[in-house]
Amino acid sequence: MSHLRSALAWLGGLVWFVWDWARASIFRRPPAGATLTEAYRIGVQSLPVLLTISLFVGTNLALQGFKAFQPLGGQRLVGMFVAMAGVRELAPLIAAAMVAAKAGTEMASQIAVMRTREQIDALEVMAVNPAWFLVTPRLYAIVLVMPALTLISIFVTLVSSLSVSVFQLGLNASTFLEFATGSIRVYDLLAAEVKAMVFAVIICFVSCYCGFVSTRGPEGVGAATNRAVVVSCIVCVSFNYLVSQVLYG
Amino acid sequence: MDDAPIRIVDVHKRFGELVVLNGVSFDIPRGRTTAIIGPSGTGKSVMLKHIVGLIKPDSGQVRVFDTDMGRAREADVYRVRKRLGMLFQDGALFDSLSTGENIEFPLRQHHPELSVHERRDRVDEVLEMVELPGLYDRPTPALSGGQRKRVGLARAIVTRPELVLFDEPNSGLDPITSDAIDALIGHLKETLGVTFVVISHDIVGTINVADHIAMLYQGKLIAWGTRDEVTHSEHPIVRRFLGRNLILPHAGEPGPARLPTIG
Repeated sequence: MSHLRSALAWLGGLVWFVWDWARASIFRRPPAGATLTEAYRIGVQSLPVLLTISLFVGTNLALQGFKAFQPLGGQRLVGMFVAMAGVRELAPLIAAAMVAAKAGTEMASQIAVMRTREQIDALEVMAVNPAWFLVTPRLYAIVLVMPALTLISIFVTLVSSLSVSVFQLGLNASTFLEFATGSIRVYDLLAAEVKAMVFAVIICFVSCYCGFVSTRGPEGVGAATNRAVVVSCIVCVSFNYLVSQVLYG
Repeated sequence: MDDAPIRIVDVHKRFGELVVLNGVSFDIPRGRTTAIIGPSGTGKSVMLKHIVGLIKPDSGQVRVFDTDMGRAREADVYRVRKRLGMLFQDGALFDSLSTGENIEFPLRQHHPELSVHERRDRVDEVLEMVELPGLYDRPTPALSGGQRKRVGLARAIVTRPELVLFDEPNSGLDPITSDAIDALIGHLKETLGVTFVVISHDIVGTINVADHIAMLYQGKLIAWGTRDEVTHSEHPIVRRFLGRNLILPHAGEPGPARLPTIG
């Protein structure tokens, strides 16, 4: 019961944090220069891991799809299976998980260290709203970068699936592409981008909030970092169902 | 004291079961240096956080420039904060910015009317004042502990505030650097002529720069007055605390006894 109470209190704090940011930021420009710096950092940090994970998710989708459809004589459907699962569900989630693991944890730890070193108090005392100053550039940056990372993840997943299908499983490349492109509509790509932006907002606010409310000292920084990635992933996966229901239900 | 920029009126604060401030009241006079002293864990830093509005009192009032910091709207609190500067214990400098950029930070936020050259001149001026000329481009992580304090102090005074607060300006410093910081505070006190509030448990240097002293002990104000009044106080705890800090025992003599608990 006490766990539930503390979870609800944490959630309430997060809602209040978002409200505080909105009040402070809605009509203000983001801190100059910081948004692009953050965007570059988030993109560069997350890209190598994202490429690696997307590559192997693509290979495994092709393998599993082939094994599932082969007994039914439907090997040609592998392209469709990879495209639908990859574009609609997996690529946005993979991008979100990687960004949460790399950029989200960095946001949480940076802000937690700032809390420990009284830098957030210093911002307050200098009459600078810390939510505006710290969250805004990170939010704009991650919302800018996540859709691009998602598109990259989609592309790499498809290319690696195609490679495995053709060179390992002996499928015809044009058949794969015909079924893959035939099952992806522009709407699907737009839906994936919408998901990416929703996940970006979730990761940013959850990670920054974890840093803001961290306790002082190294243990507090570690706990904030850990909580940031765990909570971000859980909330993203949960919201993925809701967004899929709204977009495809 | 009608002209007091800070008025503390019957402030109570507790964290859970722990009573940190228990009915503290005093006024901090304008244009003077007031030291708030007391042993560690006695509520000094909590008092300072009340003054800048980072903590709200459970009851009572902390009025700064006639604004009740515990109940005022956020915009009013920010208006007050623009009139003050604060030196944090470790300087609270942003490691991603250079020394000069750290000092320039509040000017960038609140004085868009200043040109780049005017801002740079202002930063160079305060760097001179804190005896760190030419350090504009020095990366913040490369600064020593004493330099961080000076840069933090430069950032606190760069906006020409009416009130400057110091949170443990000597903590973590060796005796020579600590003396230099005290001397710098004394010098700035003469130069700037603004209200200074110094929080410290290391009173040897603090007492030299203070015009008024407030002593907190277990959340209560047990002494308040001019430096002479407090240093000549007959209050046993004040005498013991000052004796412990100002008079070193001779070799072989036992140190002072533990300070007693008060109700």
